[in-house]
Amino acid sequence: MERFDEAGRFLSEYAALLLRSGATCARVEKNVGRMAAGWGLSSTITILPRHVTVSVIAPDKETKNFLTDTGQTSISFDKITKLSRLSWEVADRGLRIEDARRSFLQIALASPANAVWVLFAVSCANGAFCRLFSGDAVASLVVFLATMCGYYLKQVMLAHKIDVRLVFMICAFVSSVLACGDSLFSLGTTPEIAIGTSVLYLVPGIPFLNSFSDMLDKHYICFFCRLTDTVVLTCCLSAGLCAGMWVMRVGMF
Amino acid sequence: MIEKFLYDAFFAAIAAIGFSAISNPPKTAYIYCALIAAAGHSARFLLMTPEVGALNIIPATAVASLIVGCLAVILSPVAKIPAETFLFPSLLPMIPGIYAYKTFGGLAMCLFHDSETDFLHYFYLFSNNGFVCLSIIIGMVVGGTLPVFLLKRIAYRATR
Repeated sequence: MERFDEAGRFLSEYAALLLRSGATCARVEKNVGRMAAGWGLSSTITILPRHVTVSVIAPDKETKNFLTDTGQTSISFDKITKLSRLSWEVADRGLRIEDARRSFLQIALASPANAVWVLFAVSCANGAFCRLFSGDAVASLVVFLATMCGYYLKQVMLAHKIDVRLVFMICAFVSSVLACGDSLFSLGTTPEIAIGTSVLYLVPGIPFLNSFSDMLDKHYICFFCRLTDTVVLTCCLSAGLCAGMWVMRVGMF
Repeated sequence: MIEKFLYDAFFAAIAAIGFSAISNPPKTAYIYCALIAAAGHSARFLLMTPEVGALNIIPATAVASLIVGCLAVILSPVAKIPAETFLFPSLLPMIPGIYAYKTFGGLAMCLFHDSETDFLHYFYLFSNNGFVCLSIIIGMVVGGTLPVFLLKRIAYRATR
């Protein structure tokens, strides 16, 4: 009985960490089911916007439910990869619950990516994005700088636990105001592309793609939840962009 | 033509590496993201080029996303990393950012113009860009994620 409870609690926490790291519902179901089968149990999962419930069923049909809060999403494909590998370790090598929990804690407590590297990479990416949209070299450089300032601000504000919606508005405002410099000082020939691209690093692409993945897998509640989150954040960044352009007296067309 | 093709592939690769950094992937995933994004984006470029495919941006994006999805699923067991790790960042360079920007711009301008002519003009810009944006996104998402569901046995066993 104790091991049954231990397995249920572990699977519930495992499912919550997978969801928090940005896994699709299909992957959560597959991994949890695989681990439960590895320990001679079966499982079903109910995924809600802020909680996940894992129902664990013993061979004698005794069933128990384990509820865990999923918490604030912090996308990490590294964690998803390691958690998926862990599920195969349980399924193929019969890893015991206590060993699985030890590995799980190591994965959960892993340090996030280097903030300076992420800042530089995102700025380069947005600059490259500007080039893909036919922006000139000056526009690309302006976007690089605007992104660097905006993303740095995002990192600082999120570290201070400021509401993510407010963060999106402020970052979009700052990046768009800086990108307006291209038009204000007549630096390049494609200032409108610089302004339009300057806030694209804020578009919540991964949650958006996850939501459609959930839809294709018929997880409609999760689809609507993730889509709603994405729409709210997109509205916040649009409001920040509009405010920036209004302050700088730059027209959209 | 070849120069433009390589230019497109190069910047798509940089965009994919940068945007994948946000989602903290395993270090080995970066190179796969770059290769898959370069292949997908340059495929879309070729499909839209009048001399090659002459396709509209919507079907071209859907086909390119399908290529990205297939490559992500096929390469995931090689790298022992879930397909989504490559797939999602590789699709991001195809997100119709400028269309989305113009859609929102059209909506905002509608709200600030009362005269019928101006309102209709901006409403046209809003709806035209909005429909194109939405269609590209649907084509992109369905094309990209379909291989994961069609090739489930490969996609969900990659980390084994």
